Amino acid sequence: MTVADRGIVTNESVGKAADALGTRTGLTVRARRVEGAPVVAVRIWIPSGARAETAPGHAMLTGRMLAEGTRGRDFRRIAEEAENLGMNLTSFGGFEVYGVTADALARDWERALEWAAELTLESTFPADRAAFVARQIEADLESMGDQPEVRTAWGFLEQLYAPHPRARPVQGTVESLRAACPADTVAHHTRGLASGVLVGIAGAIDEDAVRKRAEELFSSLPKSAVPNAEPPAPSGTGERHREVATSAEDQAHLYMGHLTVPRGHADYEALELVAVVLGSGAGLTGRIPARIREREGLAYTAYAQTIAGSGFDPGRLVAYVGTSPDTVAQAERGVVEEIARLVDGGVTEDELEEARAYLLGRDPFQRETARQWAELLTEAALYGLPIDDPAWRLERLRAVDRSAAEAAARRHLRPADLLVTVGLPE
Amino acid sequence: MRIKTRGRWRSGAGEVPRLPGTLALHRLDNGLTVGLLANRQAPVVTSALCYHAGTRDEEARHGGAAHFLEHMMFKGSAAYGPGEIDRRTQALGGANNAFTSHDATVYYFNFAADRWAEALAIEADRMAHLALDPAETGSERQVILEEIAMYDSDPWDALEMATMARLFPDHAYGRPVLGTKESLLATGDIDLRRFHSHFYRPDNATLIVAGDLGDDALDRVTAALGKLEAGAAPHPVLSPATFPTALERLDRDKGEVPRLLLALPAPAASDPEHAIARLLADLLAGGRASQLHRRLVDELELCAWISADVSDNLDSGHFSITAELIPGVEPERAEAALFAELAIRIATAPSEEELARARQIAIADWVFDHEKVHQQAVSAALSVALFTPDHHERQLAAMVEATADDLLAAAERWLHPERGAVLGWSYAR
Repeated sequence: MTVADRGIVTNESVGKAADALGTRTGLTVRARRVEGAPVVAVRIWIPSGARAETAPGHAMLTGRMLAEGTRGRDFRRIAEEAENLGMNLTSFGGFEVYGVTADALARDWERALEWAAELTLESTFPADRAAFVARQIEADLESMGDQPEVRTAWGFLEQLYAPHPRARPVQGTVESLRAACPADTVAHHTRGLASGVLVGIAGAIDEDAVRKRAEELFSSLPKSAVPNAEPPAPSGTGERHREVATSAEDQAHLYMGHLTVPRGHADYEALELVAVVLGSGAGLTGRIPARIREREGLAYTAYAQTIAGSGFDPGRLVAYVGTSPDTVAQAERGVVEEIARLVDGGVTEDELEEARAYLLGRDPFQRETARQWAELLTEAALYGLPIDDPAWRLERLRAVDRSAAEAAARRHLRPADLLVTVGLPE
Repeated sequence: MRIKTRGRWRSGAGEVPRLPGTLALHRLDNGLTVGLLANRQAPVVTSALCYHAGTRDEEARHGGAAHFLEHMMFKGSAAYGPGEIDRRTQALGGANNAFTSHDATVYYFNFAADRWAEALAIEADRMAHLALDPAETGSERQVILEEIAMYDSDPWDALEMATMARLFPDHAYGRPVLGTKESLLATGDIDLRRFHSHFYRPDNATLIVAGDLGDDALDRVTAALGKLEAGAAPHPVLSPATFPTALERLDRDKGEVPRLLLALPAPAASDPEHAIARLLADLLAGGRASQLHRRLVDELELCAWISADVSDNLDSGHFSITAELIPGVEPERAEAALFAELAIRIATAPSEEELARARQIAIADWVFDHEKVHQQAVSAALSVALFTPDHHERQLAAMVEATADDLLAAAERWLHPERGAVLGWSYAR
């Protein structure tokens, strides 16, 4: 069934950051009982993602290799035995973390935890598999690059973050993937395990029993974590405006913005509320989509965020518009004017209260399933923030009044300094 | 009318899970079908209103009208001005969206449990009093033209649309849901009003309300929607799809990665054999230990990934096998390996182990796809509107009961590309 929806982009700036790395223990286990959940979700996060890698793509390659063979089983047996139970057992690499994910039917919680631990602690990184997985990642990289908005976004990230690792795709580069060898993944994983392991488990479980079992399984880990070296600070390429050639048929992709704040910043929630006013809320309510799409009809997709990608490193103000190459200048002008109008003129009480209602109202929808809870638990452990606690979030959002929101906008949004990347058909 | 189906999550070996809670079905006097799915797993409620009208109900010269109308349903009605539905949704801390398919159009709202009834007021107002202001229609047309440009630029979307046009040359399923630039320019507010008047009627709609409902949910629905006027027009009668009678090739050049889409005829979703075809898809490419994945990805190292799926279309369905190639692999090698593997599957029944694994994957996927109240509501809305209230559960049961011989017979019937199929290639430039 081919389906087309309204193209609404919601705020993906789920919280991140804080400087919790320096105080982490070797193993952190978070478990939560979700009454009646049909699924148990296990998340193993190792806080040594791409921001801690020594060459582009090593974190993703290491993460993906965790499912390619352990001391007791080759990749075929791992896949077969998991799928015999209907279990999704996968490994991954990301920007801040890499690790293992296991989603299983509730009855199989212990097996899911054991196998996730096995992949984390007993992977052998077989050489033949490393070569193929690197080629798979290269294919992913090229496939993503075929999407015009992704290729444009890569250019924008480089413009903002160079020489920081956030400036490049998490997959790395074709050259770095071809140069990678199994020893690189072994070295990355050795450093990764030393940097600490975070375990989040949610489902219809006995929390104490699960915690105890996890501590048994990971008992070989050191008691304290060794933080990774910090990556170079993001300073950007120095270009105000750049163009990226894409394979689009007849569409331009416009990204505008600049760096803002990391996850642990005191203004994080204020900026989250400002983002909703600008264009990350329900439907097409924000000022930017309301103008660009609803009033001027320039785009199918238009949104704005203020803390996109915020984590240990600064997030970014980003306004995106997919429009005709003929109307890029009009869209660009609209974005600048709307951000300036917010910084100079502030927000109304109604806008702020609607934004707060939106963020609080969607909160229960982010805590519905075991998988969502497992992600929240692990993310809370990663950043050392109680973001899994609805009361904490409620308090933080309620504490932002109109003057605080406007002050945060003035401090962190700079319409005169917006950097621009435009993706145009070749 | 009152029909009840009962269910709860069950996941023991050999058991088929069902939706949690109780789906109670009612039909109001004006023909609106109402399903209440009480489920207190979280303090949230989703309302999903499914109109039994989609691309298949359009005139070909107004292709895209169903989807265009979906956009316009947010652009003003008597009590809600343009953009007001989104603003009201946001002020109540909710979310909304909609989607159009070839067979149906679904609108949904997610709200906290204490304020979900606002959705009923919105749905009633735009069902009975949609504005369709010509200026708003013109502006939204431009938005959809940008949406079409976006789809045309995406290698997979562009390949899929071209392939479906070839597989369903004389059927609405071959037309893009978004329409074309030409058909959109030929479609105005008068055409949209006609479509709305014909099909956006209570006797052509199904409303599912799922989640932490109060005891008065049916009263609320009846009060808000029970007085709307019935009068849906009959659906156009579509001729059966005529498929290619040989393997047709479609070659495109786009992007840096070679992409393959093999589209074959398959049973319609209402056909009892559809469930077996879906299990066949799981057997072929549902998971890393599946037959095609194992052979083409992990053993021969030709593809970065491969997947298989069967459409849920009301009329004729289609089987699709999609893959992206590893850089440097010649497309001819991947194609030959795929066809060789299909030939084996046509000649060889799956082992008991393979069959058991495919069944477990089907059960687990079903559970994963129905965890959220929102998923439960939309799934139930489509089931009730297009098929039967327990359509998805019956399908899953049939998948679990299918035998190796059933799968072998299905493979023999549906996996012969040379008998009629479209092989779409998007080659690296």
